[in-house]
Amino acid sequence: MPIINFIIYLLTMIGIYSLLAMSLNFQVGFTGLINFGQVAFFCIGAYTSSLLVVNAGVPVVVAFLVAMALSGIFGYIMSIPTKSLKSDYWAIATLASGEIVRLVALNEAWLTAGPFGVMGIPQILKDLIPKDAYPVFYLLFVIACIIMVYIFLSMLTNSPFGRNLKAIRDEEELCLSLGKDTQKLKLQAMIVAGTVGGLAGSLFAFYIQFISPENFKPIETFLMWAMIIVGGRGNFKGAIIGAVVIQLFNVSTRFLGNYVPLGSDSMAALRMTIIGVLIILFLLFRPEGLIKEKKKVYD
Amino acid sequence: MLTIKNLEKRFGSLRALDDVSLEVEDDSIVGLIGPNGSGKTTLFNVVSGFYEKDGGEVYFKGERIDGLPPNKIAKKGLCRTFQVSKAPEKMTVLENMLLAAKRQLGENPFSALFMRPRVQKSEKANLDMALELLDMLQLSQLKNDYAGDLSGGQKKLLSLGRVFMLKPDMILLDEPTAGVNPTLRVQLMEAIRQLQKMERKAFFIIEHSMKVISNICDKVYVLNFGKKIAEGTPEEIQQNEQVLEAYLSGA
Ligand SMILES: Nc1ncnc2c1ncn2[C@@H]1O[C@H](COP(=O)(O)OP(=O)(O)OP(=O)(O)O)[C@@H](O)[C@H]1O
Ligand SMILES: [Mg+2]
Repeated sequence: MPIINFIIYLLTMIGIYSLLAMSLNFQVGFTGLINFGQVAFFCIGAYTSSLLVVNAGVPVVVAFLVAMALSGIFGYIMSIPTKSLKSDYWAIATLASGEIVRLVALNEAWLTAGPFGVMGIPQILKDLIPKDAYPVFYLLFVIACIIMVYIFLSMLTNSPFGRNLKAIRDEEELCLSLGKDTQKLKLQAMIVAGTVGGLAGSLFAFYIQFISPENFKPIETFLMWAMIIVGGRGNFKGAIIGAVVIQLFNVSTRFLGNYVPLGSDSMAALRMTIIGVLIILFLLFRPEGLIKEKKKVYD
Repeated sequence: MLTIKNLEKRFGSLRALDDVSLEVEDDSIVGLIGPNGSGKTTLFNVVSGFYEKDGGEVYFKGERIDGLPPNKIAKKGLCRTFQVSKAPEKMTVLENMLLAAKRQLGENPFSALFMRPRVQKSEKANLDMALELLDMLQLSQLKNDYAGDLSGGQKKLLSLGRVFMLKPDMILLDEPTAGVNPTLRVQLMEAIRQLQKMERKAFFIIEHSMKVISNICDKVYVLNFGKKIAEGTPEEIQQNEQVLEAYLSGA
């Protein structure tokens, strides 16, 4: 039943990217931090967890946690220049940090095996799950992670902390005048977002079992942005729906290539063009995205 | 409460503040007037830490505060409003009020996640206070409207509400009644006087309306071209030759 397998694969990838889109939405949609290097979290999460397991034999649970922590720390590092850079210049700096992380993975071969990537990443709980049921098991695992992250992020955005973040997004000077340490709040937001991105990276690595720097090009960040532009910012449902729309398109057209008389190169280019057009159409005709930010109403 | 000594601020060759010294005493209401572009807002910006000074000293409650970042100064109990009101576009009026509340719980991810019952309790208390203030400011009807959708006058009222939520010791108000209708303006003056009497707060108010000034201010300072040209009671100021000249030549 190859079609069922394909659907499960598609759903799993949608799930992993939903986490990345939620993390990006937390930064962009709630805190107003324009991060063009989101893929860095993904990359650090994937490499850290897989290297710890493959090279150091660390238990998977520990590897996941360390990957999330390291990715969170990278979020902290990325937040430091917000102190001195205006938001547009910071955005450019983030683009660079995404590339730097990938180039480290590409060139520090002693650690990452460079362009060959990390191979032989084991499946989690392989011995306990029947082989046929494994894809479904992993999908459920990803869904469980999404539910947890969704609850966790919603709790944050509905708290006074989340209110402070929204105020930074809308009117940072006001925040300062009310005694808020906006620098510290941004830093905390980036740590939270990094942790979630690191989780997505770990899930990805242990799903496809082979990662290389090729998986973490800037185009991935572009896809995550497409997700929150289409889905809508300032709410996590939008991020998930955006991930569904974009991944559905992105992954399924990859397989469509077999039936369309175009080379795979032109297919890839065409795919990105269409996503680009989709973004422009949304920005023009539905800038708030498919799902609008929900107003917080008190009675 | 607030002491400013020989304060200097230059924008290129323009001396926006030129050797300004002044003092706001504990629980007093002091006015700051002067023609357009005389440096009033600049003075607030320097005192509240938004601009760096080029010379001079600022003391608040005996402590030197110049050079501190704005949020630290606000935390010390010296708060301000802006001449052009800041209104977070996608936050409701009530969210704005709660945002400003003093001593909140749950302002960092850890407490937001793990101390929820206590956070909710403090939110409830702040909510009650916010609703009371909104009532006084006649904004109750708009409590669930986005601040970005308010009119100019309503935004002014909201900024007053926010600073009151902060419960500072001293409040700098930059034209708090500009664009507010006359009846409400009188009520605002009343509220400010009440706060000063009951909670012994100090106010430093920039105003163009002489009526407002003479109504509530104990003392007035006058700026012109960045220089302090007069100080005294509202009556004294209104008779001051130099002040009249500054205003007339400007007009
Ligand atoms: N950020 C700035 N950069 C350059 N010049 C500035 C800046 N802020 C203020 N100025 C200049 O400093 C002078 C004083 O401006 P300020 O805003 O303090 O006036 P004001 O007394 O508040 O006037 P108004 O009554 O119109 O609000 C003006 O000449 C203004 O152009
Ligand atoms: Mg002014």
